[in-house]
Amino acid sequence: MLKKRTWAMILLSVAALMLSGCSTEVKRVGVEQVKDLSGNWNDTDSRLVSEEMIRDSLSASWIDRHEKNSSKAPSVIIGSIRNLSHEHVNTRTFVADLERAFVNSGRVDVVASKDEREGIRQERADMDLNSSEESRKEMGKETGADYMLIGTINTIIDATEGEQIRFYQVDLTLVSIADNRKVWTGQKKLKKDVKEAKFR
Amino acid sequence: MGNVICGDSGISSRVKQWRGLPRVFFGLAALSMVLVLPGCATFSVSVSQMEKAAANRDLDGALKALDNLKLSGADEALHHLNKGTLLRLQGNYAESNRHFDEAKRLMEKFNAISVTEQFASFAVNDTMKAYEGLPSEQLMVYAFEALNYLQSGDVEGAAVEARQFDVKQRLIAEKNNANYLSGAFVRYLNSMVYESAGEKDEARIEMESAVAGYKAQDSFPVPKGLADDLKRRSAGKSAPSEAVFILHNGLGPTLSEVVVHVVNPQPDSGPAVFSLAVPKFARRSEPVARVVLSSEGFSATSEIVEDVNDIAERSLKDRLPIIIARGVARMVAKSVAVNEAKKKGGTLAGLFTNIVTTVSERADTRSWSMLPANILMARLPLTAGTHDLTATYYSASGSVLETHEFKDVVVKSGRKAFVTDYFINPPSRAQ
Repeated sequence: MLKKRTWAMILLSVAALMLSGCSTEVKRVGVEQVKDLSGNWNDTDSRLVSEEMIRDSLSASWIDRHEKNSSKAPSVIIGSIRNLSHEHVNTRTFVADLERAFVNSGRVDVVASKDEREGIRQERADMDLNSSEESRKEMGKETGADYMLIGTINTIIDATEGEQIRFYQVDLTLVSIADNRKVWTGQKKLKKDVKEAKFR
Repeated sequence: MGNVICGDSGISSRVKQWRGLPRVFFGLAALSMVLVLPGCATFSVSVSQMEKAAANRDLDGALKALDNLKLSGADEALHHLNKGTLLRLQGNYAESNRHFDEAKRLMEKFNAISVTEQFASFAVNDTMKAYEGLPSEQLMVYAFEALNYLQSGDVEGAAVEARQFDVKQRLIAEKNNANYLSGAFVRYLNSMVYESAGEKDEARIEMESAVAGYKAQDSFPVPKGLADDLKRRSAGKSAPSEAVFILHNGLGPTLSEVVVHVVNPQPDSGPAVFSLAVPKFARRSEPVARVVLSSEGFSATSEIVEDVNDIAERSLKDRLPIIIARGVARMVAKSVAVNEAKKKGGTLAGLFTNIVTTVSERADTRSWSMLPANILMARLPLTAGTHDLTATYYSASGSVLETHEFKDVVVKSGRKAFVTDYFINPPSRAQ
């Protein structure tokens, strides 16, 4: 009898163990927690780039020089960030961080991008027909950007069987739209040693 | 009494001997049968439904047949490779690339050694190992992904694939000393990608590497389109506006199974026949001999840019000595198992074990089935604008197999517009 009970206990334990692996487990983690799974570009890389670029761009002298010359805050439009790397990198994450930092600093204005403008212009055209006169917004009063942010992300991969050295370089540049002068350049370099598992 | 069992006394004495065997032996033997027997049909037979549907241009049916195969676990990479190809042919480029990315991830993962799988493949057969793709298949994924990006209008995405390919091909070349793994076709394609992305130096380097690769492969002449590109690029001239037509021609080779029966060299341990199963290359037809691409009175004839059949044949030839060596080692192990079973359980137990080991001996005939037999490319220079294209497929005898229209193909100034189609001999015409 005791033997049967022991067996039943063992079977129940095994079943419980097996069933516990059937549900998806979700654990919340802090956005600053570093967790590298594959060695590919990830949230930590994006965060390191945006931190560096925000610090550098807001402390550089280009804002002061602009204010001195025109006595108003510089306005920036986001151009294209070319991905020349070995990975399908989402550059929008660190660009959005930089954009937010510009706006929230109160020192740099950011104007809507080409795609964003289309929607706003449609809305303004709609206002012309449907909004009251006092709330209607006129056409032709958009702020033209002083500078365009452009950039590249490059990689160099040195690989051998089972190991890769991955080097990332992100370059961002602010170019004066009036005269093509580069008023600020920011750079962030990252390097990873990725070792592949020999056994699984 | 020898090996013949006759009369009640014989049976009862054998039954007594069987009882002496641990129950776990019978459990394992039965489990082996359960595991092995459903897999008795070789892989190439199992995928025939999918291939037939694709040949009838029923890609939805082909996708359904593939899903019904439920390729998972050790065969999961094959599911994604085939699904990626079918979705690509269907024009669902984003989903296709999602499956190719997954296939890439799995092939990388399965590159690491699994002790369990190694043991299983040594004890049972080579299909117990996870399918990590042949090196040539691993290279081809990058070409199809790049084409998917190009056909979605994402040149930057295609350039990422081109850069990844460069790293992968170098690693594969280091590991395998095989000139057919030069990746010449993918480099040819990548030269177009780089040129479209405005990376002119990279484009020239890829053109040079592709020419060198084709020469090293020595299967067919260097495509004239590539040689002309290199001349133009070396002279510093820009790329013309053109339509680039790519045909997945036929189906790549299938692997059948050849079983070699070997008589037990130790007659004292009873009559036992062992079998060594090895894969055998089976070339399938290349239905289209040439494509003529035409538009508004202009036309261009295709060239062969990749011979998948040839690469697969050479690859199997290189792998066969290793496959046979593994098979012989496995037979020895199985022979020991049969002898042990006979010693402990008598002739019947030995016979039973022999059947299990014989049935379990299967060749690994898995391959990326939806690969074409070869790839043809036709390039037609066109002015920038919207064009209707006609592609006519000719057989080797010169008869027209099919004509396909491609409406409203947009060719941008100095850019290439990529168009893809496939042709597989319908089952009624298949050789």
